Amino acid sequence: MTHSLRRGALAMLAAVLAWLPAAVAEAIDIKEVTTPLGIKVWLVEDKSAPVVALSFSFAGGTASDPNGQSGVTNLMARLLTDGAGPLDAQAFRRRQEDAAASLGFGASLDRLSGTLRVLSANRDEGFELLRLALVQPRFDADMVEQRRAQTIARLNQAEQRPQSVAGRTLMTTLFAGHPYANDPEGTREDLKTLTPARLKQRAATLLVRSGLIVSAVGDIGEAELARQLDRTFGGLVVGTVPPLPPEWKPPTKPRTIVVERPVPQSTALMALPGIARDDPDWYSAVVMNHVLGGGGQQSRLFNEVREKRGLAYGVSSGLRTYKRAALLVVSTASANERVAEAIRIIRAELARMRTEGVTEQELADAKTYLSGALALSLDSSSSVASLMHSLQVDGLSPDHLVRREALIAAVKLDSVRRVARRLLRDETMTTVVVGKPVGVVSDSKE
Amino acid sequence: MANGLQVVVLPSRRAPIVTQVLVYKVGSADEVFGHTGVAHFLEHMMFKGTDRVASGEFSRIVSRNGGRDNAYTTFDSTGYHQTVAPDRLELVMRMEADRMTGLRITERELISERQVVLEERRSRTDNVPAALLDEAAREQLFGRHKPYGMPVIGYADDIKKLNITELMAFYRRFYIPGNAVLIVAGDATPEAVRKLAEKHYGPIPARKVEARRRPTQGGADLPQRVSRADARVVEPSWSCDWLAPSYRVGETKYAHALQVLARLFGGSETSRLWRSLVIDSKLALSASAGYSPASLGLTSFEIGVHPAPSRSVAEIETAVNREMKKLTDGGVTADEVERAQNQLLAGAIYAQDSLASGPRLYGAMLSTGGTMADIDAWPDRIAAVTPADVVAAAQLVWRDSGAVISLLSPAEGNR
Repeated sequence: MTHSLRRGALAMLAAVLAWLPAAVAEAIDIKEVTTPLGIKVWLVEDKSAPVVALSFSFAGGTASDPNGQSGVTNLMARLLTDGAGPLDAQAFRRRQEDAAASLGFGASLDRLSGTLRVLSANRDEGFELLRLALVQPRFDADMVEQRRAQTIARLNQAEQRPQSVAGRTLMTTLFAGHPYANDPEGTREDLKTLTPARLKQRAATLLVRSGLIVSAVGDIGEAELARQLDRTFGGLVVGTVPPLPPEWKPPTKPRTIVVERPVPQSTALMALPGIARDDPDWYSAVVMNHVLGGGGQQSRLFNEVREKRGLAYGVSSGLRTYKRAALLVVSTASANERVAEAIRIIRAELARMRTEGVTEQELADAKTYLSGALALSLDSSSSVASLMHSLQVDGLSPDHLVRREALIAAVKLDSVRRVARRLLRDETMTTVVVGKPVGVVSDSKE
Repeated sequence: MANGLQVVVLPSRRAPIVTQVLVYKVGSADEVFGHTGVAHFLEHMMFKGTDRVASGEFSRIVSRNGGRDNAYTTFDSTGYHQTVAPDRLELVMRMEADRMTGLRITERELISERQVVLEERRSRTDNVPAALLDEAAREQLFGRHKPYGMPVIGYADDIKKLNITELMAFYRRFYIPGNAVLIVAGDATPEAVRKLAEKHYGPIPARKVEARRRPTQGGADLPQRVSRADARVVEPSWSCDWLAPSYRVGETKYAHALQVLARLFGGSETSRLWRSLVIDSKLALSASAGYSPASLGLTSFEIGVHPAPSRSVAEIETAVNREMKKLTDGGVTADEVERAQNQLLAGAIYAQDSLASGPRLYGAMLSTGGTMADIDAWPDRIAAVTPADVVAAAQLVWRDSGAVISLLSPAEGNR
């Protein structure tokens, strides 16, 4: 881009800043658009800010890393924005900065995701950079070395943090023998063997149009979006979706694992097999989790562990869903001398929920919160795009935001009790504690 | 308003939600040594109820009404925020106004919450070697036992001693309408907000606001080094902090040039520092520069480097010094200044696109002596920075005296 053009951009930015506060947005209205090439996209047209945000993903994530190549998907995703087509990494990044475009990729266990955010005035440039990243990524040797070294350093740093150690230990324990046990960032040994050729091959396997999911939000119309998407993704082959990881067999007996670390406070995670997103009792489980330990300062765990006893700063529970597994995870951190007490209280609360369920009042409060809470997360173009994208990944329809109200309203005391009895079972609980806990010991070796 | 409360409305109809933030112009830098942690501890106790709202009920009521709430404490400010549906704005305004004057604290709740605060300190600081080192570095930079030189959350010994009398004295002294800013962002009109604010905050009587004092000098006038060799550390890190002017104190005319400097010197992967240390010499895995001017007192300019494996600290320091000298001697190009300006201004546009970051920005500015006019003028002031300004700002801040170098390293034999 030439010097004079950038001067122009600066003047434009200043003008836009002055105009913004008076902007007016429309409500969230999802349109389903199919492009001439057959790409299906959800669009929320919103002119309240001069911004276009895109959230998209491809089927297949780190769980499908080939044997001996753990970390390849993650490293490949990281390198997509490190040079493409005629541009080396520095030139590519400069083009992004000049267009005030932010472009990023990341990999989860099941999917390879990307986001694009660009000022609508610069959207041609934003989509062009995305096209280059997808269709002609370079994987230059020096960038591969740099990102590899940074990834290994991140793995080292994660070992310093009790929370990371606990999270990793939980996954390796629960998913022993299953691809979900693997660290998404890979092992140091495997990372050292990854070559540009292998990364390129991985990109060619995963970056295909079948299994592609796209959401767009912002200052862009249907026709314009369709044109941009076909140009951007049209260079990718249709291809096939990678096979799913094997089924997971949830644990059938309780386990406790202590990882010693020289820290004054122990981090504790307690996990149970959870509930699939398409299970008919999903919303009953969401209500149950909200009352138990979700959503912040009103939960039973917050009240019992923090408010009444001062045992922890943070304590919460959450439902996690993966393509082949689901978990309910409770987390907290407490001084080494007191963590055993915190764990005891949490177990007692799980037992109380299992036997008593929730009260009428708790049910009503949870419903009001859950109905209202969705709107709370619609606070920027990117967050709206990300919400729509997650609905698409879960296989839901665009009218889900409307249907969700009725599904939450339909949750009953009985259905919450049913799901609590089904999920909250001591015999399937895996507990991980990292620190120097007093009064918590690992199971004896099997 | 007549009682001194400043009210700011940032309307946006992006989503059917509205955020209320009440920011008090008081933070940990208003504390004295031996009594650190009061501002933050009080923030926790503000959820413990009034005559009208029982302990812990504040958040439960917000949640029961489909909203979320929380609070934060910084060196200069303490903020309480809720996000709710527009028809619940009055509810949270009534409750927030109520706890401006009606706080009740019991001994039993104080004792239990003290444990929570100590657990928070363990999570954020005592369990985290880098945070412990940062505490030591701030002591050197801003002065031992001086404002900004003491941690926001307080020292554990002080937290263990804090009592109701101290908390309530702090509350009565600083939680007054004339010492607060009310920010309402989202789906609400200025007229409606004015009406509600008059109704709920209006009746609170005005009281005299004390001037807040901040030191105009730092800790030491000789270069300092702090280091921490910790068995928990695997990856080393190196950083250097300088005392720097803010929008309020010191050579404030450089506050905008320093933002451009931080951006072009170490604000992205195309910055001078990154290109030199990470790409060209491969001495480092990452390198960055940072500067935040919204402070009532002095602030800091920081350079941070994550050394590549088996690279020595001496090599890193030589390389950083070389880049600094190159900039102060050789200047910067109009082109790189303009790129940095573009990035800063674009960041501000994206901030406007988010309902969360608007109030945060206004809260930080207005609680540190800034005005609405300052916020409006920011894009022009950034755009007006010249290459010569950037070099002058660097020469001002990058002085040997007053620099504090921090080194975090694995304990011997750990690597």
